Amino acid sequence: MLIKDAPVIWDSLRSIICVYKPPNVTCQRVRQTIITAVCTGLNEMECRPPMDYVSIEGNPSTQLTVTVKPNLADHPLVVGPRYQIEDLKCSWSNYLGLHSSGVLLLGLRNGTKAAKLIRENRPTRSYRVSGRFGEATENGFKNEKVVERSTYKHIKHANINKLLAAMQASHQKEMFKSCGVDLQSQTAYEMACEGPIRPADSKLPVIYGIKCVQFEPPDFVIEIQCINEYETYLKSLIHEIGAKLRSTAHCTGIQCIRHSYFTLENALLRKHWTLQHIITNMEECIAIIDEHENLVKQKKAALQ
Amino acid sequence: MLNNTKRVSYCILAFNKRFMSVKRKYPINPDDAKTLPVFEYGVSKDSYRRVFVWGNLQTGALGVPYLKKNRNTLQRECLGAPKRLGFAEKFPVKTAACGFGFTAFAVDTDSGHKLYGTGLNTDSQIGRHEIRSGHPLEIIYFPQPIHLPLKNPKTKIKKISAGRAHLAVLTDEGLFLLGNNSYGQCGRKIIQDENYFMSNYINHVRHIDGQTIKDIECGQDHTLAITENGAVFSCGWGADGQTGLGTFNNVSVFSRVKGDIESEHIIKVASRSDFVLALNNKGEVFGWGNAEYDQIRNQRNEQQICHPTHLKHLGVGKVQDVGAGGSFCVVVNDKGEVFTWGFGILGAGPKVEQSFKPIKLAESLFGRNDFQPDSRVVKVVCGLSYAVAVTSLGDIYAWGRNLRSCLGLGSEKDQYFPFKVSLGGYVERVFCGYDHTVAICKPFI
Repeated sequence: MLIKDAPVIWDSLRSIICVYKPPNVTCQRVRQTIITAVCTGLNEMECRPPMDYVSIEGNPSTQLTVTVKPNLADHPLVVGPRYQIEDLKCSWSNYLGLHSSGVLLLGLRNGTKAAKLIRENRPTRSYRVSGRFGEATENGFKNEKVVERSTYKHIKHANINKLLAAMQASHQKEMFKSCGVDLQSQTAYEMACEGPIRPADSKLPVIYGIKCVQFEPPDFVIEIQCINEYETYLKSLIHEIGAKLRSTAHCTGIQCIRHSYFTLENALLRKHWTLQHIITNMEECIAIIDEHENLVKQKKAALQ
Repeated sequence: MLNNTKRVSYCILAFNKRFMSVKRKYPINPDDAKTLPVFEYGVSKDSYRRVFVWGNLQTGALGVPYLKKNRNTLQRECLGAPKRLGFAEKFPVKTAACGFGFTAFAVDTDSGHKLYGTGLNTDSQIGRHEIRSGHPLEIIYFPQPIHLPLKNPKTKIKKISAGRAHLAVLTDEGLFLLGNNSYGQCGRKIIQDENYFMSNYINHVRHIDGQTIKDIECGQDHTLAITENGAVFSCGWGADGQTGLGTFNNVSVFSRVKGDIESEHIIKVASRSDFVLALNNKGEVFGWGNAEYDQIRNQRNEQQICHPTHLKHLGVGKVQDVGAGGSFCVVVNDKGEVFTWGFGILGAGPKVEQSFKPIKLAESLFGRNDFQPDSRVVKVVCGLSYAVAVTSLGDIYAWGRNLRSCLGLGSEKDQYFPFKVSLGGYVERVFCGYDHTVAICKPFI
């Protein structure tokens, strides 16, 4: 980094960053770690020197002397480091649950506005969810107690593909019902011709694409493109697939591989969570936002 | 229960930060899972098919039995969403046919009963069913066996088709026709003032013109048959030219349909009302019948066309499947594109009501998009005022006039563009009647 001046870097923190959230760590912890990393990095740089302490001394009726010296009340050793953890605003634009990993967008300082806009625009996200047939657990995830076992030899790749295709078509229909347009109108027809659209409701999970990408019984991996999903929903989806295929299944891993235009390649790994990498990543993210205007401002209900 | 098994404790670590950790009071023992019994859930047989029904409930055509416990079901006028038919769980249903207020099911059993019927029985179109002699039932709420005079008990039913009040059953032993014959649609002599309600006459046509019958189709009051060499024969009501025999008279014997299709090898005919579409092996479409809704325009501006006419104006490529409703036509070409023309709800939005030129319905309406690029329409079936398309992925899309919820979309409003019908299975075949629909599906596994 060529710039050594901390205030310049502080001012440049005005957009979002894309980090890779590891599993079994909460979003709150990731946020805290990023904030700490940024503040530590800034404090190591050339910070603002203490303000001047101007003292006017002497007898007003005779002569006054003006002396300027560093203000000890503003010294880092007195008031603490220049960049405090509480000063850095940071918020996420997609929440990933405890067991999920993958792309997480965080807005820093002014970037929290962009993060909010992206969150409210509800872009699609892609997940890679792995599951295992044969065992059902108490909460649908691998870390809980196994409550039921069943056979899975009869499940073939074709079965799972067909089931997922039927689920996908039904979800695409539901998204249309929940888009808030009268089905009898011309607008509804024109929207239907355009293809998939985003639902008006922000609570209803909608799956646009669901596909089995790997099938090695008993393990399988499905790739999902969806909106409004949450971790428990994805776990229950795996459970449902198991039940529909006359077996039982539980989830073994959830990875968010894409969030709107941000992919795993943009995501910053845990080992790179330092100020320098964060600044570089932010520049990449700004380029992506500039390239795709619809990320923060959308005009149509059609899916982008 | 959670409080018993888990204990949440706060650990105060360095830097005065609090981290929460969950400590189990009774840790999970992975060996416990091995002691659990292994369940084996049943998988359906290859031959098993699920049957879903929806539409008008009051005619009994849906086969929902009249029982005291579901009296509420019967008080409802219609089933707005597909319902799984209990009858099909007991009998292996092979194929079905929907008429105007009645349904027939063909089952694949070795017993004598191979055909079941339910619904209106005003013209004994689903056989004679009487509890006491001389008083046949006029309406049947649960599929009842129809006795066919078969010589060999192993004979299989190939196809059934139903019209307004007659039923045609194509078996290995030939064609059986029962029900109303007031226009000669059963292929036998018209008897003046015949009491069809009391009669139980089944007409057997073994061969037509020395040829085996390959396919049959019932229109409203006429019957069309295709023989193995691709010739079309028809009988029944001809007032609008729907028999295609060059006359407007009723014909009571299967007669050869000539006109433009005389030298063609016809593989499919479709007719729900009084307009007929025929498809030859080259993918060309022919039509005849009541064309007052602009289905065909000829030079003399006739509205009733009794000569089969080659529809050259379509320009839709090689046609794969055809469907003819009461006032409109639907075709699918080999690329899976759907075209409609005629009058009524054509499926191209509420603004389009009439068109002589075929209108292409966008593929995205039938579920093709970036996520599902291989989805294409393979079959179309027309009801009287609605149409249903079946895609290669086993989904069905319905549009048209929603008479007594016959679209199965869960509402009673008309649908102006194709919309997916949700059912639990991969649809293989759909049968449309006047105001009810039957779908035969494969189970998920």
